[in-house]
This record gives sequence, C-alpha cells and structure tokens, in this order.
Amino acid sequence: MMHGFRNARPRKLARGLVVLSVAATSLVLVGCEDHGGDPRKQIGANPVLPSLQQYLVPPIRIAKAVRWGDAMPTVPQGLQVQALATGLEHPRSLYVLPNGDVLIIESNGPKAPIFRPKDIITGWVQWFAGAKAKDANRITLIRNGNGDGVPELRTVFLDHLNSPFGVALVGHDLYVANTDAIVRYPYQDGQTSITAPGTKLTDLPGGPIDHHWTKALLASPDGSKLYVGVGSNSNIGENGIGAEYERAAIWEVDRASGAHRIFASGMRNPTGLQWEPETGKLWAIANERDEIGPDLVPDYLTSVRDGGFYGWPYSYYGQHLDPRIMPQRPDLVASAIAPDYALSSHVAPLGLAMSSGTDLPANYRGGAFVGEHGSWDRTPLNGYKVVFVPFSGGNPSGPAQDVVTGFLDANSHARGRPVGLAMDRSGALLIADDVGNTVWRVSSARPGSPPKPGS
Amino acid sequence: MQHAVIAETTFDTSLKSIGKPSRGPIHKVLVSFSAAYFTGALVTDLAYWHVPDVLWERFSIWLITAGLIMAGLAAIAYVFDLANNTSIERPAWPRAVGYAIAVLLSLANAFVHSRDGYTAVVPLGLTLSALVVIILLLTAWVGMALANRHRVGG
Repeated sequence: MMHGFRNARPRKLARGLVVLSVAATSLVLVGCEDHGGDPRKQIGANPVLPSLQQYLVPPIRIAKAVRWGDAMPTVPQGLQVQALATGLEHPRSLYVLPNGDVLIIESNGPKAPIFRPKDIITGWVQWFAGAKAKDANRITLIRNGNGDGVPELRTVFLDHLNSPFGVALVGHDLYVANTDAIVRYPYQDGQTSITAPGTKLTDLPGGPIDHHWTKALLASPDGSKLYVGVGSNSNIGENGIGAEYERAAIWEVDRASGAHRIFASGMRNPTGLQWEPETGKLWAIANERDEIGPDLVPDYLTSVRDGGFYGWPYSYYGQHLDPRIMPQRPDLVASAIAPDYALSSHVAPLGLAMSSGTDLPANYRGGAFVGEHGSWDRTPLNGYKVVFVPFSGGNPSGPAQDVVTGFLDANSHARGRPVGLAMDRSGALLIADDVGNTVWRVSSARPGSPPKPGS
Repeated sequence: MQHAVIAETTFDTSLKSIGKPSRGPIHKVLVSFSAAYFTGALVTDLAYWHVPDVLWERFSIWLITAGLIMAGLAAIAYVFDLANNTSIERPAWPRAVGYAIAVLLSLANAFVHSRDGYTAVVPLGLTLSALVVIILLLTAWVGMALANRHRVGG
C-alpha cells in the first residue's frame, strides 16, 4: 500500500504539471496568432482603426538583417537606382549642401538603460535586427559634381559628435542636432571637412533614458528660427510623465538667442521636418505607439499647426483614448488634432523629402517621399520601402505609391532598411539605408546609361 | 603526540557533522524566498494602484522576476532533495500543486507587468498578484492542516 502510494505521487504530480504548463503556454501563444489587416485600409485621411488590444506577450516579428550581395533595390519603370556610397556605418539621415555636396549622418542611439527585465529582451531583439550597430557619431561628405551618381570625393566632414541626426545650414552657420544639443559650426562654401570647434546653441532633452534619440532639424525660410523634432522618452509613458518634459514635441528655437518654445506637442516621435513648397506650411512624419495591436496605431504624415496638440500619450487620431496612461487628461484630449494622412501601422517613417527639381518623371513632382524603416512588431511585416504621397494644392491627394522596394528578400529578411531621405541638387532622390550601410540614389532612367551596380 | 591525535579526531567529527544531510530540504528555503518576493510584488502593486508612480511598477516586475528565479532554483533543488533522499514532509503533493499554480500565474503576471504604462498593473497585474498570494496562503494552510492530521492520526 505504502509502496504504491509513493510511486503514484510523482507520476500524478508530473502529469498535473504538464497539463498546467500546456495551459499556460497556450495562453501565451494566443497573443501571437494575431495578423494585421490590409495596410491599404489605413492609408490616407480616414484610416480604419480597429479596437484596442492588450497582450500577454506582445507580438514581435523582426526581419533578420542579411547582406545586399549583388541585389539592388527595385524601382518602377522609368527610374533607375545606384549605390552612391557603400561601406558606411549606420547612415541615418542626409543633408544636401547648396553646392550639391551630400552629407551622410552616420549615427546610432545612445545605450539604453535597463529599467525592467523587458529592456534586456528588447536589446537582444534589436541586435538581431541589425539595429545595435556601433555609433559612428560622424558626418561623411560625398561630392558628385557632375551628377552621374559616381562620387569624385568622399571625406569625413565632421567627427566626434553625439548621436547626431538633423543638420541645417543658414548662411555660413552649419547646425548639427546632436541628441542632447544643437551645435553651430562655421562652414565655408565648398569646405569638405570641419575641424573648428562647435558652439552650443541650446541643450536638447537627451539622456539618461533618451528612448527616441533622433533630433530632426529644419531652418525657417528666413533663417531666424530652427525647428527641432524631439521624440518621446517612452512608448507610452512607462518611464513616468516627468521623463516626458518638453518631449514628444516640435521645438521652435530662436537662432539668435537659443531660446525655445514648444511649437507643437503630442507627437510621439516627430522626424522628417519639411516645408511644403506650395503653401509654406511645416510638415512632419511621426511614429505612433506600439503594443495595442498590429493595426494600431497608424504612423502618420501631417501638417503641423502652431500650438497644436496631436494626442500622445493620452489619445490617438483625435479622441481615441489610450488606457495605459494615468492620470488621464480629458482637457488635452478634447483639443487633440487628428493627423492629416495615415501611412498605416508600424511602418516607422523616419525620412521625408518634398519632391523638388525636375530630374524625376512628371508623376513624382508635387508630393512627398517617405522612407519607411519597417515594422518589428507586426505580422505580416509592413514598411521596408520608400513611398510617394502625391500632393495637390498643398495637401495629400491620393494613395501612397511604392517607389523603392526590394529591401526585403524572398524570405522576408532585411537586406536594408530605408531611413533618411533627401533630394540632391539635380532632383534625384537619395535614401540612407542603415542596415545595408549604403546611400542609394534614385533618378530618371536614361536611355544609354544603364544603372551601374554599387561598388 | 597524544595531543595531536586528539585534535585530529575532533576535526574529523566536526567535518562529518557539517557534511551529513541532517538539515531540512533545501528547496523549502527557496520556496519561502519566492513566496516572499511574490508577496512583496502585491504590496508594491497596491502602492502603484494608490499612487501610479512607475517606480512601484518597476519594483513589482523585479520582485516577480526574482520570485520566478527562486522558484526555478527551488525546482532544481527539489530534484536534488529527491535524489539525496532527504526526508520530504508528508503532504508534499497538495503543496507542490498549489505552488506550481502560483508560479505559473506569476509567470503570466511577469508578462502582464512587462506591458507599458498603467495597464501593466491595473487591473490584471494587481489581480494576478493578489491571486498568487491567496493561493500561496491557502497552500500553506492546507499543508499545515494535513501535516497536523497526519501527526494526530498517526
């Protein structure tokens, strides 16, 4: 009797534990079964917004980084693509100087602190996706005087920066937006390297958390003001509302004094600041919040109103409340502006260029190119391409069209990820690719000049 | 000479008394640690519910994580205790099941607490933390009651 009891006990126990483990595992997996819908329903002025979901395990779907090899990005007929510069270190944004020289900002974010066990996991995920590259903290200059896409000169323009992203030239003052400050450098026309020390114009919200570290920069047409995109310090306020002071906003900095005011707020991670050429209005792109579903919340492209509040963290697309923030602010939510144009969820827009010049075919004049870095928390993947949003009368006038694709291979591995965009002096589109470590140049296909493979 | 021999003998005896598995099973100590961590998480969850300062939420998730690590170590120690044939108290079976449920709920709770913002705690995280403590208390109570009955009934 005693003998039998002793044997049965561990077996029963083992069976019970197996049943419980299976139950727990299936509970965990429920969250991963969730597929995103057609992204086209979420492009334009009136995106379809499903109801909000919260997960036990938020879905993670990352594209493993692989090499381009002999492959090239794909462009529609009438366009050609070339590698303007290869072998870069995590090129993040681009700026074209008046003489046509191209500045390539090679940068990555500062080391993220670990507040929760989750932050350790996030670090592994980013490493897998090729986002943990060393921070070069450098600006490289490329000169392509004859506009053939084959550079004659490549130099280190400015070194020893601190996670730089935005660049703006006003007269002979070159401003670099590091993650923690705007620094001014003297620049002479045609200069290929700056060794003079910089002068700080103003501090910007930086560490120690610095969740969204990029600081986009744009000078006003008269050169008196600088506009700075300052991203939030969290996904949805999980580092405390105190960490969000003057963040998730676009700053207006007075160039003479360095004083600033909040031009617009409630934008989770505003980048790609540009003037719309027809109306002269400020436009921006923004990355919206994660972990409430594959189709929430659509990232967007919008005109930016002086004093406007765009919802983050309290609400999205106007008055859609986010329950993850406490205390709520109904007063702010009531005034929240819905953005102008949704780009669909989790595409991660990080580059914006208003089309200019006459190099590209007529159907790409009058509109905005958007570099979509690509999703990491959505199945199927979304983004990983450059799209064109046609404009008419200063506003988007139709669905976004794919312009540059092929960043994902047939196995959904990422050969590259498009980030910053710029129009070069001849009117071709430049694309920084921070996984392929390349700058791509897209121009009109010319008969007799077949695209040269990148060297 | 005589003196030296005596010293050697004494040394030998003391070594034996340390090496002998005369103490209780190791896994029980680790189980107590994990139970204390899970209970701590309920306290910090209640604090966060009262004043939603992220610091409390961070305390909670680390306490739950530490509890789960201790539970993992306890499981390993349990296997060792079984192998070493350490005397395991009578009503181990209801205790083991109650504890396993508490640990699995805590694992789910760790995921809930890894959410961003208020809903990492309120209402689901807080509920799970409370449930885990209730199960641990019930398990302890049932364990004690059964142990008494065994002792009384022979």
